[in-house]
Amino acid sequence: MTRFSLRISALALAASLALSGQAIAQGTPVRGGTLSMILNPEPPVLVTGVNSASPVAAVSPRMFEGLATYTPDFKMVPVLATSWDQSADGKTITFKLRPNVKWHDGKPFTSADVQFSFMDILKKVHSRGTATYLHLIAVETPDPLTAIFKLDEPSPYIMRALAGVESPIMPKHIYEGSDPLKNPANVKPIGTGPFKFKEWERGNYIMLERNPDYWDAGKPYLDAIIFRIIPDGSARAVALESGAVQYGTQYVVPLNDVARLAKLPNLNVTTAGYEYNTSVNYLEFNLRRPYLQDRRVRQAIAHTINTDFLVKNVWFGFATKATSPVTDKQKDFHTANVPQYPYDLKKAEQLLDEAGYKKGADGIRFKVTIDWSPSGEMFKQTAELLRQGLQRVGIQAEIRNSDSPTYLRRVWTDNDFDINIYSASNIADPVIGIQRFYWSKSIQKGVTYSNGSGYNNPEMDKILESAQIENDPAKRRKLYEDTQRLVMTDLPNMGLVYIQWFTIHDKKVKNLNTTGLGPMESFADVYIEK
Amino acid sequence: MTMATESVGAGAARRASRERLARYLARRFGQAAITLIAIVILNFVILHLAPGDAIDVLAGESGGAGPEYLAQMRKSYGLDQPIYVQMVQYLWNVAQLNFGFSFRNNVSVLELIMSRLPATLLLMIASILLSFTAGVLLGVFAARRVNTFADNAVSVLALLCYATPLFWFGLMAIVLFTVKLGWLPGNGMYTIAANFNWFEATIDVLRHLALPALSLALFHMAVYTRLMRASMLEIYGLDYIRTARAKGLSQRRIAFRHVLPNAILPMVTMLGLQVGALLGGAVLVETVFGWPGLGRLAFDAILQRDHNLLIGILLFSSALVIVANLITDLVYAMLDPRIEVA
Amino acid sequence: MQAFRDFWRRYRRKTSAVIGLVLLLFVFLVAFVGPWIVPGDPWDMATMPFLWPGTNAEFPLGSDTLGRDILTGIIHGSRVSLLIGFAATLAALGLGVTVGALAGYFRGWIDDVLMRITEIFQTVPTFLLAVVLVAIFKPSMTTIVLAISAVTWPSIARLVRAEFLSLREREFVQSCVVIGMGETRIIFRQILPNCLPPIIVMSSVMVASAILTESGLSFLGLGDPNLMSWGTMIGIGRDAMRTAWYMSALPGVAILITVLALNLVGEGLNDALNPRLKNH
Repeated sequence: MTRFSLRISALALAASLALSGQAIAQGTPVRGGTLSMILNPEPPVLVTGVNSASPVAAVSPRMFEGLATYTPDFKMVPVLATSWDQSADGKTITFKLRPNVKWHDGKPFTSADVQFSFMDILKKVHSRGTATYLHLIAVETPDPLTAIFKLDEPSPYIMRALAGVESPIMPKHIYEGSDPLKNPANVKPIGTGPFKFKEWERGNYIMLERNPDYWDAGKPYLDAIIFRIIPDGSARAVALESGAVQYGTQYVVPLNDVARLAKLPNLNVTTAGYEYNTSVNYLEFNLRRPYLQDRRVRQAIAHTINTDFLVKNVWFGFATKATSPVTDKQKDFHTANVPQYPYDLKKAEQLLDEAGYKKGADGIRFKVTIDWSPSGEMFKQTAELLRQGLQRVGIQAEIRNSDSPTYLRRVWTDNDFDINIYSASNIADPVIGIQRFYWSKSIQKGVTYSNGSGYNNPEMDKILESAQIENDPAKRRKLYEDTQRLVMTDLPNMGLVYIQWFTIHDKKVKNLNTTGLGPMESFADVYIEK
Repeated sequence: MTMATESVGAGAARRASRERLARYLARRFGQAAITLIAIVILNFVILHLAPGDAIDVLAGESGGAGPEYLAQMRKSYGLDQPIYVQMVQYLWNVAQLNFGFSFRNNVSVLELIMSRLPATLLLMIASILLSFTAGVLLGVFAARRVNTFADNAVSVLALLCYATPLFWFGLMAIVLFTVKLGWLPGNGMYTIAANFNWFEATIDVLRHLALPALSLALFHMAVYTRLMRASMLEIYGLDYIRTARAKGLSQRRIAFRHVLPNAILPMVTMLGLQVGALLGGAVLVETVFGWPGLGRLAFDAILQRDHNLLIGILLFSSALVIVANLITDLVYAMLDPRIEVA
Repeated sequence: MQAFRDFWRRYRRKTSAVIGLVLLLFVFLVAFVGPWIVPGDPWDMATMPFLWPGTNAEFPLGSDTLGRDILTGIIHGSRVSLLIGFAATLAALGLGVTVGALAGYFRGWIDDVLMRITEIFQTVPTFLLAVVLVAIFKPSMTTIVLAISAVTWPSIARLVRAEFLSLREREFVQSCVVIGMGETRIIFRQILPNCLPPIIVMSSVMVASAILTESGLSFLGLGDPNLMSWGTMIGIGRDAMRTAWYMSALPGVAILITVLALNLVGEGLNDALNPRLKNH
């Protein structure tokens, strides 16, 4: 019984943390100290401009800054740009840049770097930048401290993509004339951020040191940041518990262990700082499969999933039931006023009977396979739960385990799957984060995390395409509400839970979440209490 | 016995034996080279039968990427070339000691392997020493008390070690020594940024080394214990030991001066065989203990489908096994002149 | 019959061999009868998660992270482990005996080529190769069995070759050659039956090591995702090691007992089948 009550308290803990998720500066900062953070898995490079994978994003923002950053409610805060001005037609954006900023190698930062970063890096080699900056046709540089963005269509979402983690400003003098993907600076970065690269011992740690010439005088407060690479979940828990490491994010420890750690006197667990980076756990149907082409079958399957069980026993409270494909954190777009599919096995059986898939003599209606994203134990457990649910209504399901490349190719290149369980970030704006799953033009073989279900509905295309170039916030909201309603009616995919990331840190570490980027902020403000 | 043969050996005989050794070495090196090439080809074929390449991984991790971006990446890494071109290119590179580039990690494969090698070597040497020493001591201990309670206890212990899954033992050791008792660290190789002097740093590494080395050593400790006991008992039955007994030498002296040196010989060949098994076991042990060595690198490489890296590691491990076998053969030949290096 | 009685008399001389046999029979009994006594799907979320052993009579060994009964898992896992152990050994025997017999009987270039191939497989660290094979050809019962047999056949091949090399010089074989008996017949009818004892002894140890290998693969997440094996259970429990170590401990004990039993039986067989070799 004690185990059970512990788990209840984990749920209560997660709920109360969600409430306290506010970003405020704390106390009076002091200089000095080294912050040890957990990093897992080990990133291939350290620059999000050339690789936007999450382990890269855990390191890069301390060294690379964007033009701006964002408050938890998405207000822009100046970083490398001090002010910005958008023309009425939305096709020209003028940025005034911060003076006296130096690269880590001492060279001055200018508008040429901004131009190079957007036109030659982000637009060309960044996995999402190619879409985000599709309509950006030129960056003009009338003087070293002015950059003017020229667009051929209004792209309001650009103003949400300027954070250092998503659109880092990179040094032109280092990258110009080279293949950016193979540039040696990707593993020994030169940025403008508060921390400079010091050393990287592979399989062990990455060390950054304080940038004494940082433009924000007096900052950063820390002397150094060490990222410790610890591949094992239980070991990460030990490291935090013993104080060997003071900070960890996302799935840093097994979720069942969080409640215990939160009770320790030296540790604090918080869900603040994940306003910008919101992920949804989806279930996707392959609409090319005969059984799954019938909407009633998809709805029946949706009724077999006990989402409460998922939230409680798989996510241990660090997720909430999804009510639509857009996370409720995106208050500008989310709506729960859409069809819902509660856990109801009788309803599921009824729908399957209606669809004409009666149980055979062996009690089986038909067989499906389930693939899950090998990026977390939670997805595997969700697959196992789904299999047991399907079995109860007469659908025999087989789970397939794959390594990352096989999984990605199976789903997004070969389309050789029935049901796929994965998570994806909604990122800052639906054009970047949501449209890709439902637009018929996003049915692109080989492009991962695109429209894998093969969903092709002219009505949906019309809504999405109007939203792309709509500059009026109220009208955009309306269009995305329609999107959500249509998704929940057609069910090409469905949200299962909204993932609530959390940070575990030593209580002495302060000022961690001064903006909405939390763990992906520059850490210039972070300090360790003496 | 050994003494007698050596003193008789004249200069000519020694020269002849040196020539034989040189020829033997040349032949073994030739064989090793052929085996290595065959292993490279074998691995290359196996790996290319699998769907998905490194670019799929990069694309997946970055959460959505356009087809132009993917095509550009494939071209930039030479993955758009036909397989046989890639293989010939690889063989040519290996011949020049260029093991290729790990695009997943953005450094050369050789550099990556070399940076992980010391950790794995330390772990392997520690567990070889541990298993060998403990095995010999336990074997001698049991053999001198044959068929007593102590002997049976050693046998049971050896059987248990022989049957325990090493990763499971590692996990249980962490539960006991790290979680419950808090005596030893259960992860990593050393405390980072601890400002230790060299002495404290050594102790620190040894403390981190204790559990993984023990987990990895367990199985072979059992093997050596049983082998040593058997070997001792066999030699106890030989004539010259009986003679020694008749001369009234003490039991201790007989055991350590006359039986032990000869009983140890057959164990030397086991050492060479142990290397391959240890490298395999290192995958599990290094994963359990977060030991930053080759085993964990290999597992990561498989999950990330980093072909070049994986082939590099397999090739390197195989080379390590070949070298180890060669060394043990030589040591054996030098220790025991009865064996011809033919 | 008399031969069997002699064999049994020699076998039971050693207490440890008898204990091993009893343990092994027990494991077999669990595998065959267990699923009837403890019915149900080992994957079913039958009760509340993190139930400690001994706290609920209905689930005596407790439940795992998703509320699946550990006792049911261990019982169903015994089938998986034994099946994989024996299937992999059979496959390895098929390949190993063929290669060994051909090499040992024909000698010459056939022997050279086959032994060079064997050597390659013996040089690559076996567990590493098994991991690579399973990871690449997708984890499933079949691929696991094939991968394990692919890395274990060389030892059988070497053993059989050595036996063939010595047996084919024996008088009874030579006389067969003289009377013009066919080669296939000599190999299968004359020589092979005479190398059976060492093959049988080695097989029991191979089953044990196959079970260990399977558990290691499953632990690394390379098990068949639709089969509840002991290694899979240890892997599931690993994430909860600090709060609920029993989840990993119990299936580990099951592996230990099974492997121990197989090793003890192997030793007993060795003593009983090779009386000329004095065992220590």
